[in-house]
Amino acid sequence: MREAALSTLPRAKNAPMRLPRQAWLLARNDLRQEMREWELVATAGFFTLVVLVMFALAFATLSRDAQVLAVPGMLWLTVAFVGALTLTRIFDRERESDTLRALLAAPVERLAIYLGKALVTLLVLLGCCAILVPGVVLLFPAAAPLAEHPIQTVTLVVLGCLAYTSVGTLFAAGLATSGGKNVLLSVILYPLTTPALIFALVATRALIENHPDFSKYLSQLAALDIVLVGLSGWLFESVLVGTGARRAPTTRRRRG
Amino acid sequence: MGRLFPVILLGVGALTLPYSVQRVFLDTPIERTMGTVQKIFYFHVPLAWIMMLLAVVCGVAAGIQIRTRSERAEATAIAAAELVLVAGLGVLLTGPIWGHATWGKAWTWDARQVTTGLLWLVFASYVLVRHFGAAGSERLAAALAIFGAVNVPIIYYAVKIWKTTHPDNNVVGSLPPQMWASLWPALGGLLAMTLGLLWARIRLERAEIALDEAWVGVEDAPQEA
Repeated sequence: MREAALSTLPRAKNAPMRLPRQAWLLARNDLRQEMREWELVATAGFFTLVVLVMFALAFATLSRDAQVLAVPGMLWLTVAFVGALTLTRIFDRERESDTLRALLAAPVERLAIYLGKALVTLLVLLGCCAILVPGVVLLFPAAAPLAEHPIQTVTLVVLGCLAYTSVGTLFAAGLATSGGKNVLLSVILYPLTTPALIFALVATRALIENHPDFSKYLSQLAALDIVLVGLSGWLFESVLVGTGARRAPTTRRRRG
Repeated sequence: MGRLFPVILLGVGALTLPYSVQRVFLDTPIERTMGTVQKIFYFHVPLAWIMMLLAVVCGVAAGIQIRTRSERAEATAIAAAELVLVAGLGVLLTGPIWGHATWGKAWTWDARQVTTGLLWLVFASYVLVRHFGAAGSERLAAALAIFGAVNVPIIYYAVKIWKTTHPDNNVVGSLPPQMWASLWPALGGLLAMTLGLLWARIRLERAEIALDEAWVGVEDAPQEA
């Protein structure tokens, strides 16, 4: 099936249109596989529900003032947890059936692989947010403004998840090609995604408090998205396959 | 020369540091509002500068490593990252001591504190990936270092808008020249020590890489009967 998807890729023609189209074909391939198995969505969705229940049990008795401070934290921590779970799986399929090599050898832009995987991760995360945000609004009365401004909430969630996904996909890809040890993903992800999460946190709190600076924070988050996507896209090829040729990348022996 | 250089630098550091301690405690006037506790400034601030310098060195070296696969850049990135952890530990220990004495609270979630703490975490994860990552994870670690270096100003700004009530510590900017004069020996001594350690660690790492490659070379060589 993947081969079928790849064989439909246009070769050298239509260079400007090639990248989005290739990215979309790769993402569609993953999504189709996902529609058959529901593995990512089912596990991530259930995990979101579990974390939500945990937060509800832990923080149900908070006063309304405290909820205003706690709700943004719960929201974005859950996104961070679910994101880490999704990202550990997103390249596993390629690794299990050893198709990452085929993907790298295929006549597609490397950037398209990154964009395709990032798109799938983003969609899974957004699917989880479709459970998470209404859940938070139901469980915590202070979060009601999230439901009152649906457009702002959706924009905020999309931008926040995009920032998380852009960094996460890069490092998930790097770990997938460097031969396992997914434990390291959490070690890398949490410190690196902190700025994105802080920006999302600030914007969420501003939205809940009806703060006039909300749109300013939102545009800052969008600017951060551009920086992170640009940097990740630029580094993706180097992380995945390496450039230059000092030595074969995997021949290094590990002692000790 | 390559072997002598770190020894010279460490020697300079070993001579300068005691002198700077003597100068800081005996020849520099005691700050009026903060008292003796302000003396920690002469070690805290240089350590923070050195940590930032090393973080930038690591980020740039990682960038060169990922582009050209330079073994020298790789060794520099590793050495700098490990020293960021050491200098960062110094900053994160002296900072709260100073804060406890002057602000009355060791950790106030000030933008600088959070930024330093997160920078330290990023480089800790870099060192973890370098030590426990599988073969081929050096490119991943390099990307991590680049991201870490780019993140620093972003985190600083993010925390500033997140925590708008951070204490205004403009004391440092308005120091009399006498106190500035005492800062330089401390900075010089610590910098000499750092560069000496950095140089020695780079040499060690390059030797390790050369040894690894020699091992691989022996294993790959056709076996003689």
